[in-house]
Amino acid sequence: MKSQISNLKSQITNILFLVVVLIVIAAGLRLWEVGQVPPSPDWDEAALGYNAYSLLHTGRDEYGQFLPVVLRSFDDYKPALYSYLIIPFLFLFGLSIQAVRMPSIFFGITTVVVVFLLAEHLFNNKKLSFLIALLLAISPWHIQFSRIGFESNVGLAFNIFGIFFFLKGLKKPYLLFLSVFSFCASIYVYQSEKVFSPLMLFMLIVIFHKQLFQVSKKHLITAILLGILFILPMGLYLITNPNALARAKGVSVFSDNSQIASTTLRIGVDMKNHDYLGYVVDNRRLVFVKDIAANYLSHYDLKWLFITGDVSRHHAPFMGLLYFWELPFLIAGIYYFIFSKYDKKTKLLILGWFLLAPLPASVTTGVPHAVRTLNFLPTWQIFIAFGLFGFYKFMEQKNKWLQYGFIACVSIAAIFNFAYFVDQYFVQQNYYNSLDWQYGYEQAVSYVSSLGAKEVVVTNQPPLDQSYIFFLFYLKYDPFLYQSQTKDVSGGFREDHVFGRYVFRPIEWNIEKKNSQTIYVGRPEDFPSNIHVLKTIFYLDGKPAIEIVRGE
Amino acid sequence: MVKIKLLLVVIVLLAGLLRFWQLGAIPPSLTWDEVAWGYNAYSIGIDGRDEFGRYLPLDYLESFGDYKPPVYAYLDVVPVKIFGLTEFATRFPSALLGTLTVLVTYFLVQRLFVQSTRKKWYSLAAALFLAVSPWHIMLSRAAFEANVALFFIVCGGWLYLSFIENKKVLLLLLSVLSFIVSVYTFNSARVVAPLLVLVLIASSWRMLWHMKKTTIFVFLFGIILLLPFVHFFLSPQSKLRYNEVNIFSDVSLVKEANQQIANDKNAWWSKILHNRRLVYSVAYMQHYFDNLSPSFLFIQGDGNPKFSTRDVGQLYLWDIPFLVIGLLFLARKKIGYWWLVPVWILLAIVPAAVARETPHALRTENMLPMWQVIAGVGFIESIVFLKKYRKIFVGISLVFLFLSVLYFQHGYYAHYSREFSGEWQDGYKQALLYAKQNENSYQHIVITSALGRPYIYTLFYNKIAPRDFRSTSIVNRDAFGFVDVVRVGKYEFPTKITEMKNTLYIATPQEVPQHAQILQTFPLVNGQPALVAYTL
Repeated sequence: MKSQISNLKSQITNILFLVVVLIVIAAGLRLWEVGQVPPSPDWDEAALGYNAYSLLHTGRDEYGQFLPVVLRSFDDYKPALYSYLIIPFLFLFGLSIQAVRMPSIFFGITTVVVVFLLAEHLFNNKKLSFLIALLLAISPWHIQFSRIGFESNVGLAFNIFGIFFFLKGLKKPYLLFLSVFSFCASIYVYQSEKVFSPLMLFMLIVIFHKQLFQVSKKHLITAILLGILFILPMGLYLITNPNALARAKGVSVFSDNSQIASTTLRIGVDMKNHDYLGYVVDNRRLVFVKDIAANYLSHYDLKWLFITGDVSRHHAPFMGLLYFWELPFLIAGIYYFIFSKYDKKTKLLILGWFLLAPLPASVTTGVPHAVRTLNFLPTWQIFIAFGLFGFYKFMEQKNKWLQYGFIACVSIAAIFNFAYFVDQYFVQQNYYNSLDWQYGYEQAVSYVSSLGAKEVVVTNQPPLDQSYIFFLFYLKYDPFLYQSQTKDVSGGFREDHVFGRYVFRPIEWNIEKKNSQTIYVGRPEDFPSNIHVLKTIFYLDGKPAIEIVRGE
Repeated sequence: MVKIKLLLVVIVLLAGLLRFWQLGAIPPSLTWDEVAWGYNAYSIGIDGRDEFGRYLPLDYLESFGDYKPPVYAYLDVVPVKIFGLTEFATRFPSALLGTLTVLVTYFLVQRLFVQSTRKKWYSLAAALFLAVSPWHIMLSRAAFEANVALFFIVCGGWLYLSFIENKKVLLLLLSVLSFIVSVYTFNSARVVAPLLVLVLIASSWRMLWHMKKTTIFVFLFGIILLLPFVHFFLSPQSKLRYNEVNIFSDVSLVKEANQQIANDKNAWWSKILHNRRLVYSVAYMQHYFDNLSPSFLFIQGDGNPKFSTRDVGQLYLWDIPFLVIGLLFLARKKIGYWWLVPVWILLAIVPAAVARETPHALRTENMLPMWQVIAGVGFIESIVFLKKYRKIFVGISLVFLFLSVLYFQHGYYAHYSREFSGEWQDGYKQALLYAKQNENSYQHIVITSALGRPYIYTLFYNKIAPRDFRSTSIVNRDAFGFVDVVRVGKYEFPTKITEMKNTLYIATPQEVPQHAQILQTFPLVNGQPALVAYTL
């Protein structure tokens, strides 16, 4: 008995030790130079930050909406929970880039730990679970999104919590409440989760229905009621605000008309030829089905995963989302995993997760999309860890030296690749991507406010669109004042806008009134080349970003 | 047994039908490479010389300065003799050997899985899937030498595996011969065939060691057959085509690496991280992965409409589950030469990935028929696994396969010509037949070079005797090896059209001057004018 207890104790200290190691690694990579890399908030981060500030001081968002569940923002209707999560950090850091990014960093680190515990629950193998969590801690994909204020990363965390508590809840039913809470929370954080979380929960119920129905009725019914209760505000909001689905419609494949011309032409030819088969196969709806299949499959493109990634804010320059050295182990890992000794349910869960992750993104345009498919994590890492273990065991059967050689080779490749990533992320990213991170406003705003002009005209043309939010953010503009000045109007998508002495609209130099009390903030191409520029702000690769000019 | 043979016959007939039906009419016209094959075959058939008068060339056809491997022209001599200088005759070797590749695939798969009790069924399924493969059908329906090279490579693989089974030296000799013919047929095969041979030798070196004498004899036999090729390979001309298309001449990558080293303040470790060998390796892998991209394989195929209708991928979406099941099964059960299947696919991409335009269905055609083999194994194993529902499963999945084929074929016959006839240099034929009818009324006939290589179409459609061509033409060769024919008899092909009297002009609508007197327009299938005949 005594030895059992001390055994248990040592096991717990063992696990605690591993968790601490994971936290140190994950936190180190996520907190190092926080707020400086990437070099500035993008417009979504600025919007989340200012709305948090507004909520803290007025209880309302920038549109004057009281305690919103969804932020209208740039008419993209962001689920609001992330903004609420920023609020505690406003006390620590004030309205700043660090405050905006901290919730994501916090949940990113927590995700690594929970993935370790989840893996330990599923595979009951400490080495394997530690490896999985370690791979996640150093994953370029996960680091990318847990260092910036992207809601998707918190959505991922809640989904993983939901899965973990569901599995634990099969033994300790009260944890099912936490599971329900987590899945619901993820829906309040990020758009894609409206598709992913319900499907994931449904899959869990189907796979584990036998154990689930052994749980006492009382607990099950409470969990269901709690779920309904949690989901109610979002449900009501969606029913009463049809606009809230505008964003979803805007990016869906069904609003993509690029192929209509060619199908119409084809149908015309079919009609002329009385080609009845043609009516069916050249139908527009068939094109949508093909589009969805294409979008889904695009997320299994090795080039996207290992070499190029998608848009520059979603990956370190000249790198993909996974490490190149992981490729052979990923492929072997899928094989080893499928034929591993673990029970069918575990296998179904992970494979189902892996196949479910790209679903929300496949009905949207602009794929492959690393943010909308963040729920892939940590399935890649699970397979890679299985691949590494499988190879290692295989070598073990052959001979010792082969095994040592294998460890040495993999370590060298992994360390080299990791060093490359660290350089690309911490050094090269700011140089190459400062435009994509909408860099420059911080200096522009502080310079403009030092001038004390009567009117400030700021362009809202790309790449300086949604410029108003950066002014609100860096001026820490009084939310009460803002709401009273703008009367429930705010940014919208590329709309003109005014608050206080700030005007946001395109600058047309030839027809501007140019009175000396007006300051213009625009792109270099907004002004004639011979003009006297008060200040030029440069991107980090030395190209001009913003020019500030007095109307004379 | 009889049932299997009957099914095989049906599959091969189906393959033939899908490859020969309306072969001369769809694709709607001949590309310049196809025309060059046809005319060179015609020329060799008359006096044993290629268009420019080289006697029985073994190493290359100069053609447009792209130094084509010559086998296709030789294979086309007899069809051109029989059917005349026509589209059908030009494409005949590719369609015929494409059909036969389906048959040889059946034999190859039997050898791959020789110990399996289900090998006959695997083979049938693979043959069926190759017969209906969009990739293979598209490339069998035009004079693509890649498709012929594939036939010889598949033969080579089959014969080698047969040799390992039967130990008959003749099979080994035939196998080596097949691989060598493929080297004389298509550029990509020059890399893929040797790599495959190396892999095959490595897998059976013990056996070859035991029969040293034979091995050395066959080795020498191979070397002798390769001599003409090696001689050409060492010449600067052979590099021209490669230099034109390879990724390693792209200096922007090095510039980018230098910038990154500068960003790291020229640290020593940065020079290792951003080493140019590494940068080019990554670029190579990027192009390599392109050829495995889901969009290329399953959705819209090659971006070049000559190789794909853009309606379906190089494979069908239908294949995906069977590819997954097949791969897992092969890796799990490890029957016979299972490892050769993925290795074959990976090797087939090696030469294509050094090129800038990726993915490329033609240069990676040697991946066939291995995708079909995997899908075949997956399909048969699914049937075995679903004992009770076997009949329903076979019924449903074959219906879906049929619908996929129907979808592809409908697009091909109903819309392909109209949508992409421009890609096939449509318009030349009609224009040149018109020119021939009226050539006696004019002193000069000027044909624009805007659509590319008008001389070869003139030779082909006017059936100009090779002897006349060689004696009445003016040929320019530039420093890059490109061949430019500027005149054949009274036909002239200037880069810039000048105005002359008593001249029939054939040019693109954009080139026609305002005061021209338009005689006739030659439209593409979709009605847009491709060429216009006019005088001044």
